[in-house]
Amino acid sequence: MSVSAAREPQRAGKAAGWASDRSITMGLSVLAAIPILLFLLLPLTGILLRGFETPSGFGIGNFTETFGAERFWRLVLNSISMSLTATLAAVGLAYFYAYALQRAAIPFKPFLRIAVLTPLFAPSLVQAQGLILLLGRNGVLNRFLGFDIDIYGFWGTAIANALYAFPYAYLILSAALAVADARIYESAETLGAGPARIFRDVTLPATRFGLAAAIFVVFTLVMTDFGNPMVIGGDFSVLATEVYNQVIGQAQFGLGAVIGIVLLVPAILAKLIEKRISSRQHALVTAQSKPLETKPSRGRDLAFSLYAYTVVSLILSVLVIVVVASFVRLWPYNMSFTLKHYEFDVQNGTAPLWNSVGVSLATAILGVAITGLTAIVVQKFKNPLTGPLSLLAILPAAVPGMVLGLGYVLTFNDPANPLNVLYGSFTLIVILSVYYNHAHAFLISSTSLKQIGPVFDEASTTLGGSTLTTLRKVTLPLLWPTLLGVGVFYFMRTMVSLSAVIFLVTPSTQLAAVSVLQLSDRGAVNQAAAFSVCIMAIVIGCLLIVRTILWLAGAKNVTLIR
Amino acid sequence: MDLSIHDLVKRFGKLTALDHVSLEVAQGSFVCFLGPSGCGKTTLLRVIAGLEEADGGSIRLGESDLSSIPARNRNFGVVFQSYSLFPNMTAARNVGYGLECRRWDKPRMQNRIKEMLDLVHLADQAEKLPSQMSGGQQQRIALARALAPDPSALLLDEPLSALDAKVREELRIEIRAVQKRLGITTIMVTHDQEEALAMADLIVVMSKGRIEQIGTPQQLYREPATAFVADFIGRMNVLPLDPGAAGSYRFAGTPLAVATLANGTANAATAAALGIRPEAVALRERGASGENILAVDVRSVSFLGNITRVELAPENRPETAIVAELHGTATVPETGTRLAVSLPADALRVLS
Ligand SMILES: Nc1ncnc2c1ncn2[C@@H]1O[C@H](COP(=O)(O)OP(=O)(O)O)[C@@H](O)[C@H]1O
Ligand SMILES: [Mg+2]
Repeated sequence: MSVSAAREPQRAGKAAGWASDRSITMGLSVLAAIPILLFLLLPLTGILLRGFETPSGFGIGNFTETFGAERFWRLVLNSISMSLTATLAAVGLAYFYAYALQRAAIPFKPFLRIAVLTPLFAPSLVQAQGLILLLGRNGVLNRFLGFDIDIYGFWGTAIANALYAFPYAYLILSAALAVADARIYESAETLGAGPARIFRDVTLPATRFGLAAAIFVVFTLVMTDFGNPMVIGGDFSVLATEVYNQVIGQAQFGLGAVIGIVLLVPAILAKLIEKRISSRQHALVTAQSKPLETKPSRGRDLAFSLYAYTVVSLILSVLVIVVVASFVRLWPYNMSFTLKHYEFDVQNGTAPLWNSVGVSLATAILGVAITGLTAIVVQKFKNPLTGPLSLLAILPAAVPGMVLGLGYVLTFNDPANPLNVLYGSFTLIVILSVYYNHAHAFLISSTSLKQIGPVFDEASTTLGGSTLTTLRKVTLPLLWPTLLGVGVFYFMRTMVSLSAVIFLVTPSTQLAAVSVLQLSDRGAVNQAAAFSVCIMAIVIGCLLIVRTILWLAGAKNVTLIR
Repeated sequence: MDLSIHDLVKRFGKLTALDHVSLEVAQGSFVCFLGPSGCGKTTLLRVIAGLEEADGGSIRLGESDLSSIPARNRNFGVVFQSYSLFPNMTAARNVGYGLECRRWDKPRMQNRIKEMLDLVHLADQAEKLPSQMSGGQQQRIALARALAPDPSALLLDEPLSALDAKVREELRIEIRAVQKRLGITTIMVTHDQEEALAMADLIVVMSKGRIEQIGTPQQLYREPATAFVADFIGRMNVLPLDPGAAGSYRFAGTPLAVATLANGTANAATAAALGIRPEAVALRERGASGENILAVDVRSVSFLGNITRVELAPENRPETAIVAELHGTATVPETGTRLAVSLPADALRVLS
């Protein structure tokens, strides 16, 4: 036989190869772990510590003081009752909306699917803006139709939040209703069950996990949201607005931290329960399942069409009215067309808008790098860091934006902290935005990596590829459409995010969503509307651009709106 | 260089997937790991490839110990059971991937890619993506990719099991031809005995993480060492020996004579059963005299074209059926007929 050099296993290089691959994976793991410790774990610890810090030292003084106040319990009651109301409304409406789209024949389904997600493109106070323009003191109904509606307060907040949370509920429920085993429905039918009975005995039980998940997600979202109650709450205060008032209004960081912790507890509980529940959802459909096909039924289809179009009109009308208001001279007295609100001659002009675009782009880029790296480390490497890292990576799912933002203030405005230099800069806002949205972005990347599977890594390894070669030539080329989707997700969420960044913005680092809040606070409703419209336009423009890129590259199965 | 595996142990938690496995693979030979699903074939192959770390034992290639060499430096070509071509690369780039990793220069690489594509008769598919090729084509490209860097051995994990029967047969012949032409040491995992018999120089029969027997296809067929091998390779009647008959071979109360084989490994002390192939069982009239004659009743007869299968129940042990296969147009008995069988001494195998 011919003994060529190539045939020999590379003995000389063996130890080096082993070691270098190991040290590279370890190095990358450390690289992924450090920022998450500094910018997620540290701020969360910071908020806990500050909660226990009193003028007389470490203790539970802040808690006893807060819990002793009658006002606190009223806020708790307000928060819970408002959140329950909004959750019931949002989840209830979204369930039947998703049902209509998945299980009935309705015209223009693609439109209905997209339209209902539009609230995700707007800052989280646009619903309150729209409701005020419609039903407020100077709203159309009260001014011209002679109604005497007082929308400010409990009901306004609950309705605005229900509309705001609707798309989140819809996404979860739609996924739950999409999986169905036709065989079960067929056997129920052959056994003589009518539609109502099938719904009660088959559909509802099969989607109960999704339903529970939607309830938990929406409840925490509403409970910790702060934009809508700020704008439409009037005298009606909730815990989220109280944190803002304590910290921004009275610089009571300790009391703010206590309420932050109070908000963190239900959020973490809800997340834990939801995780348990959703992990059981999958087993329901097996490989042998047969997909359910919708059979036409006139009465049902008509009823569901009516329902779906009513719901979508409600959601859209609130947005449309904001768009209209941005183009009229003085809502609602002078409805003549004008572009003057788009001159942005107030405050910092268009600067906040461009700041937002810049911050969102930077967040998208940094976020893709960080979550991509973390997901690769967790999914592809095996070392002592990967376990803790995967836990930390999804921790932000249980942390309300406000609480994380407050944690950042408490941690980074401390001059003793070497990272204090970042305080007041755009950089810190970008980092906050990355970690606020980290969990979801991480899950998207991980899922995609799992689908790529280990066989390509093994094939590459046996062909002589190192870990880095495999990443560069195989994993990343397969992952890029997903990473682009993650970038869009970051961009979208950062453009519209209010509660996470509210504590970090300063007059020199103003962001668009915060401008909307301040403008509407000052009664400049038309300009506020124009700002909101610009945010929506930018988000929609970004979606269109990326969709086109993906379409040109032939990657069609990437979900962009999440 | 010969590949020698010594006393390998691999555990997955409580499960012992490889239980002290030792084996020699000669330079240039084609070896099949054969056994039922879950017996540890893939695990053994993956340990050899370096994709799985053994808990004990050693693997040597020629003089060098492979244990501390990572998979990527072992220089083995691996073809996986599932399609493993990189979906983002053309057939040609897939074939060239191992060469890229070894930093071959462009012209040399292009030549080698072309050579390999010609070897598997797919030169016209060079620019296709995996998703544009059939399963058989993909596995051929995977073979070319594995062979391109001139590996010291080729490891195949059920490379044909995802393909349909016709393509499987074609590829079987092609893989064997390529292997002979290159003279490359090859190990192939399969659970299909026909595939193993048709392709291998040497078959390693495995069961529950252990090696049952190693031998050429002919050896395994003619002289199975255990009841498991006898049953797994072709069909064999397994006749459990009567209890308490140490030192002699008694079945159903009849002492049976067994011709000693030149290289027979089994001896009377460890014998548990006797085996005989259905085609070696000869039918006789009831009352016929001679060596190794048993009285039987015909239980059922199935006509299968070129052969007729007759199931016989021994009179003294009706629960242990003996199957006989009659070839061509031999006279076929009726169900219920009382007959006798002769079990030729030189066709009986001692099984442990
Ligand atoms: N990564 C693993 N983790 C745990 N058990 C495994 C793993 N790989 C294989 N096994 C188990 O080891 C045994 C042998 O598996 P395998 O080598 O794949 O069998 P075969 O290829 O012969 O079908 C099986 O019981 C299998 O379940
Ligand atoms: Mg296998």
